[in-house]
Amino acid sequence: MRFFGADTDAQKVEMLQRIPIFQKLTRNEILEVNDLLHERIYEKNEIVFEEGDPGHGVFIVVSGKLRADPKHDVMKTALMDVGPGESVGELALFDEGPRSATVVAVERTVTVALFQAELTTLLTKNKNIGVKVLMEIGRIISKRARQILRHEQHIPTL
Amino acid sequence: MKVSPQPGATTLLVVILSTCLLLFLFQKIIWIVLPVLLALMLYYILRPVVDALVNHGLRRGPAVKIVCLLQLIVAAGALVLAFLFLAKAGSWQSNFDRYLDGGQNLVRKTTASLEKVVPAFKKMNLGVTVDQHIEQFTSTFVGQNLLPISLGLLEWLPSLLLVPYISYFMLNDSTRLKKYIIKSVPNAFFEKALLLFSRLDASLQNYFQGLLLLTILDSICLGLGLELLGIHHAILLGVAAAVLAWIPYIGSVIGCIVVVLVAATDFPDQTWTAYACLALFLAVRLLDDFVFMPATIGRKLNVHPLLSVVMLFLGATVAGATGLFLALPLFGVVAVIGETVAQVVADQGLRARHRAARLLTAVS
Repeated sequence: MRFFGADTDAQKVEMLQRIPIFQKLTRNEILEVNDLLHERIYEKNEIVFEEGDPGHGVFIVVSGKLRADPKHDVMKTALMDVGPGESVGELALFDEGPRSATVVAVERTVTVALFQAELTTLLTKNKNIGVKVLMEIGRIISKRARQILRHEQHIPTL
Repeated sequence: MKVSPQPGATTLLVVILSTCLLLFLFQKIIWIVLPVLLALMLYYILRPVVDALVNHGLRRGPAVKIVCLLQLIVAAGALVLAFLFLAKAGSWQSNFDRYLDGGQNLVRKTTASLEKVVPAFKKMNLGVTVDQHIEQFTSTFVGQNLLPISLGLLEWLPSLLLVPYISYFMLNDSTRLKKYIIKSVPNAFFEKALLLFSRLDASLQNYFQGLLLLTILDSICLGLGLELLGIHHAILLGVAAAVLAWIPYIGSVIGCIVVVLVAATDFPDQTWTAYACLALFLAVRLLDDFVFMPATIGRKLNVHPLLSVVMLFLGATVAGATGLFLALPLFGVVAVIGETVAQVVADQGLRARHRAARLLTAVS
């Protein structure tokens, strides 16, 4: 019986490589990152996190669908469904600020979560992987910011 | 942002009581607690070395193996040196008697000097009284305690052999173990639990790295000081005294007594050397309390000084020497767990979310 041995099979590596945040990583690098990811399963209508909660990490959808429901007027334009390969809650990786939206599972959803402590671990202990992951997260945040900017000129905060 | 409720006096009381209960239990299974604690210390000391190797392109598995192999070589070398030193030093019993005689001579000379300076002491027969007490103590101590202590130390050997073994698995599997534990936490408390782990990890890392830094600083100060005073095996004695200081208060006193006994025996006609050793220990103790400790462990563990002292006394009362050694690190860990659990219990939103998630799981 394996209690906490390596749980990475070929299928899982392939699945992780399809996620944009990890697409630049090699197989060995994926294996390193997998040790730091936490898999969570949410039932339909289960809350992943609520607006105002102190946030500590990003949730990446592996299968199923999440829905972000921000209350802020500006953010409403960015209301979104989050499908496989997409992520939600990236800002919390950097500032532990309050979550800017409530996120609920629309259907049974499998996610992997990467938290601030683990990202810091990557950046300090395995810079090559950390920088690649950080760049991809930066791209996603930048893309979201541009989407919001197209609708509003004055964005108070993301 | 939703603010988590701050833990109050009840939480502090629960944390103190839990620490005492754990100390009591740990005392009963100290044969496994001590190797785990030492392995944990090695883990936090060696982890940066493993990380540095990983950063240079090595995979974690081989990096851990290399570091553990180096650790084994160093440990084997230290054991060989210790055996050589012990073999050269002759029999334990005769050495113990020799150093005890040296100490007794020092006390006799000191009381004689005191009687000359303060006549009241002579009237009180200070020299005779102290001499009688020392005679009584040494005869009963040697007869009753030396053999059990020596046998007790030998009993520890198999248990200490576990240390490198446990530290290897800690270095290799700690991340997976953490994942495995977190997996059992319900979704609603998942982020809080992860935060707790990070804080615990940081707290323990700070404590053990602080302790190592403190030991190095103490070893340097004591080793250099004893070397300047011309004491034999100065560096070895300095390191031993610094390691003994891991046991709060009592450890420093034992280290000081050992060094003063060595000085009094090696220099029977120069009592000032033994006094200088005592002064050196007092100076290093002051440096520890006011400079080194706040800069290393105290600042990093973030425990109020009054609470530290209270915990040390409680630890000693509940679990004796074991309690003195474990009280502070255990209190640090229990405090972090207690604060997080208190926050979760007080957070009605989180508990409601957990109840709802259980209902959804039951329905689906």
